[in-house]
Amino acid sequence: MDKRSPLALYRSMLLIRAVEERLALSHQQGLVHGACHTYVGQESVAAGVCAQLADADAVFSTHRGHGHALAKGMQPLRLVAELYGREAGCSGGRGGSMHLFEPAIGMMGTSGIVGPCILQAVGAAYAFRLARLPHVGVAFFGDGAVNNGAFHEGLNMAAIWKLPVLFVCENNQFATEVPFASVAGNPSVAARGAAYRIPSFEIDGNDALAVEQAAREAVEAARLGNGPTLLECRTYRTRPHAEGMGDFTYRTREEVERWKALCPIARLRQHLLDLGMATGPDLDAMAAMAAAEAEAAHVAAVASPFPLASSALAHVLAPASATPPEPQPPTRPARTLSFMKATHEALAEAMARDPRIFVLGEGIGQRGGNFATTSGLHAIHGPERLRDTPICERGFVGLACGAAMAGARPVVDFMFADFLLDAVGEILNQVAKMHYMSSGRLRMPVLLRGCIGIGHSAATHHSGSYYSMYAHFPGLRVAVPSSPADAMGLLRTALAGDDPVLFLEHRELLNIKGPVPEGSHALPFGKAAVVREGSHVTVVALALMVHRALHACSVLAEEGISVELIDPRTVAPLDLQTILASVAKTGRLLVVDEDFAHCGIGAEIAAGVANAGFDDLDAPIRRLNGAASPTPYSPTLESALVPDADAIARAIRDLCAE
Amino acid sequence: MPSEIQLPRLGWSMEEGRFLGWLVRPGERVAAGQPLFTVEGDKATQDVEASASGRLVPAPDAPAEGETVAVGRVLGWLLADGEAAPTPANPGTPIAPAEPARADATAPVPPSLASPAAPISPVHAFPASPRARRAARARGVDLASLSPSGTAGRIRERDVLAATPAPRAHPQSRARTDWREEPLSPARRTIAARLSHGHPRPVPVTLNLRCDASRLVALRMAFKVRAATDPAEPAPTLNDILVHLVGIALGQHPVLTASWAGDHLRFPRVIHVGFAVDTPDGLRVPVLRDVCNTPLKELAAQARAMAGAARSGRLAPADTEGACFTVTNLGALGIESFTPVVNPPESAILGVGAVVREAVPLEDGGFAALDRMTLSLTFDHRVLDGAPAARFLQSLRSLIEHPPVQPPPSPSHP
Repeated sequence: MDKRSPLALYRSMLLIRAVEERLALSHQQGLVHGACHTYVGQESVAAGVCAQLADADAVFSTHRGHGHALAKGMQPLRLVAELYGREAGCSGGRGGSMHLFEPAIGMMGTSGIVGPCILQAVGAAYAFRLARLPHVGVAFFGDGAVNNGAFHEGLNMAAIWKLPVLFVCENNQFATEVPFASVAGNPSVAARGAAYRIPSFEIDGNDALAVEQAAREAVEAARLGNGPTLLECRTYRTRPHAEGMGDFTYRTREEVERWKALCPIARLRQHLLDLGMATGPDLDAMAAMAAAEAEAAHVAAVASPFPLASSALAHVLAPASATPPEPQPPTRPARTLSFMKATHEALAEAMARDPRIFVLGEGIGQRGGNFATTSGLHAIHGPERLRDTPICERGFVGLACGAAMAGARPVVDFMFADFLLDAVGEILNQVAKMHYMSSGRLRMPVLLRGCIGIGHSAATHHSGSYYSMYAHFPGLRVAVPSSPADAMGLLRTALAGDDPVLFLEHRELLNIKGPVPEGSHALPFGKAAVVREGSHVTVVALALMVHRALHACSVLAEEGISVELIDPRTVAPLDLQTILASVAKTGRLLVVDEDFAHCGIGAEIAAGVANAGFDDLDAPIRRLNGAASPTPYSPTLESALVPDADAIARAIRDLCAE
Repeated sequence: MPSEIQLPRLGWSMEEGRFLGWLVRPGERVAAGQPLFTVEGDKATQDVEASASGRLVPAPDAPAEGETVAVGRVLGWLLADGEAAPTPANPGTPIAPAEPARADATAPVPPSLASPAAPISPVHAFPASPRARRAARARGVDLASLSPSGTAGRIRERDVLAATPAPRAHPQSRARTDWREEPLSPARRTIAARLSHGHPRPVPVTLNLRCDASRLVALRMAFKVRAATDPAEPAPTLNDILVHLVGIALGQHPVLTASWAGDHLRFPRVIHVGFAVDTPDGLRVPVLRDVCNTPLKELAAQARAMAGAARSGRLAPADTEGACFTVTNLGALGIESFTPVVNPPESAILGVGAVVREAVPLEDGGFAALDRMTLSLTFDHRVLDGAPAARFLQSLRSLIEHPPVQPPPSPSHP
């Protein structure tokens, strides 16, 4: 049967209804451990849209996503078992109702935070365009999300690049429990799409046939390269926001009853009967079958075991096999390259080898990047792989997330790390968690690169370090190289790996030159460099501080103080072993860190050494950090913030004298 | 209402005590005033009476017999019929602190103001880095005997190394790491803390005892006679014989070999004894190995070789390490008694005076001329008290007066 046929839609809607009613009951019985947002009353939207989609088309959904998952083809058992927290669940018990993943059938996740799915659908569409695949990305979202920046940034990017994406707004009139009319400057969602020159249609979402027809036209247009469509489906959820919540503080019983009478399933049933496409008993039998299927899923889900507690930490990062082996010593003599040239070479090489890699950023196209990071690459690879973006960091990081989920390997060139703060929610809530929430099925090779560091009177919006903040979160790798060779080696590893990486380049180091090995040397993450060997004191430093500490080491060597200087190179993972081995030798540790001290990487290193190297310590662990202040502009003020070689030498001297 | 049984404060300075066991079986009924359990405080062991009548229910986390616990720790309850033990057990209602005004306990007390009634100061006057503590443990150095040299007033590893400068390459010196540790009893802890108040170092006390050395002198003479006829059998010195006897006595009184390790005592598993040698470069103390199990002849050979090496400046650093006791003898210089100085981390040193012939009154009213000498034992009072030290000296005197050493056979006359 054509899944777009009215009978197929009807069956799809019946299954959604039956499973939701079973889950509502299970929620009362305590089988659902967390939230359960049912889709009752909106079944026509998921059925009508998903009827147009193949497994390869990617659906990104909301907290109210059971219907989308089932309509996209998820087995009811996989859904029900996930809500029961069982091993047989579609996310292996990692997600629950709000994180339902089945990538094999293009179910790219429901989400507890709704805006990002719009950006991810745009990203998947971008990946399909890049790979010359005829697939489409579909974002389901509610009326609440259209007031979120993600909606506007996503629609704009889809419009300018004419991406194959379908935006489906299920306007059920309440953002959780806030009436949409009360928070919308323009209560027409379709009108907002038109503002971005996206074909936008307001349709009766409870009319399965109307939805099916609109979605069919939109998906066909997308596959033909005619760009995105926005469908505003007016509908209503007839159960509370979430099971167990009160329903009549923000809407009336009468209103709910009125909408129940407009039930999309009843409406389609009447249509089928009117046209003689089925008899009443036929349709009753279909309903009974759907109920039986839901009940069977429940029984099987209850029988499924809970996942083992020991598996709780699986899938935080991609399997280790994805990380490259220990570097081989270069066979040919080193060349001298600048930091910038070294990373450029690594990127150019990777892009030539792997067509899945593309770069997003402001001015990284023809212009070649603010710091010449992509110089000349646009001429080779064209605008699709060197994509100049609007100034919407959240938008294009969210796009990168969706593109990675759909198989591309995005590089986000964000210029200054300060700018990236606009995208922190996308990075931490989406990019970093996606591999885990999909129980290891989605790989997230998102490379986020750009500048950190104080200098050149860049003032406070172009000078932050931030690596400690990102290192705090599981699921991310954070590299902070200090030399051209390290930058090249770590960037190669980042470009070849399957995990999200923040690659942070100190602006004051971009022009330094240093020896770089010939050949494709790659450096593993989590392997520190002993920059200089010594015996009296261990100094750990990153990025620019490595260079200043080196200077201090030379001064101190003349005074008879022998410093061992260690550059961790990556702060996540952090190579504590090398630091511990050094402290075992010297008994003294100073961490020099341009970033703020409070809750910083220096504190993490100090705690690790105090924990595992306590008996090696002959003096307290000391930190020397950048001052806790926004970065001022004037050179005298600016330099007062950052430890210089004199301050480092002083700190080392004091520590050795203790 | 359940009546809590807590570890009582038996004395004003008691912070912890050793729970020695119940005197009543769990579940049994006791009357108020009946002895309930035994506790060892810092001064004495005491039976503690039940403060109420009731059925004894030990706390689920009650200490095992012999366990040292803090004052105030709930040991159990006395319950009336029908009552259940409350939970959770600990910590119990606070017992009033020893000194009410101790808010600023960390403030230094000038030594001149310290009176015997003042709170006990920490055993260590100076903090030590973890690395220094490890080095001190490995080398058997008493941190309390060291002073910091850095700016932070903290003993560093280098301070420990400076106190034991010799590298340990000699295989025999491995014996030094072979220790048995013994926790301090509350009483010992208190004594040590009191004694060392304002003296965070060894607390030396010297005891003198005169003994009859006639048989020792005769024994030595017999060896000399034999040596004169048989150059292959050199005579042991008086000191060699003394070290041999000291070894026997130490075996009987091992506390003399213990060293102070701050929070516990450390006993060597093998007894090595140093002996002082006067050399042109000053005092050297080579160490004789395993004196309890080394025959006198071998011991004498060892001592001869080492004394020679010491006098010619060829003593290996390892030859001076690992002793747990020292014998120093100024008798050859005519000194009759003196106050030897303990060699940390050792806890005791025996000074041997000159053998002096003197008139000794006999029981029958007459006098006899006897060879006598004075033994002077200096020991660290933190580690042991006067009486055990005296008993060691008595044992040694008895060994000297009746040496358990086979004299060499008399030379045969053809």
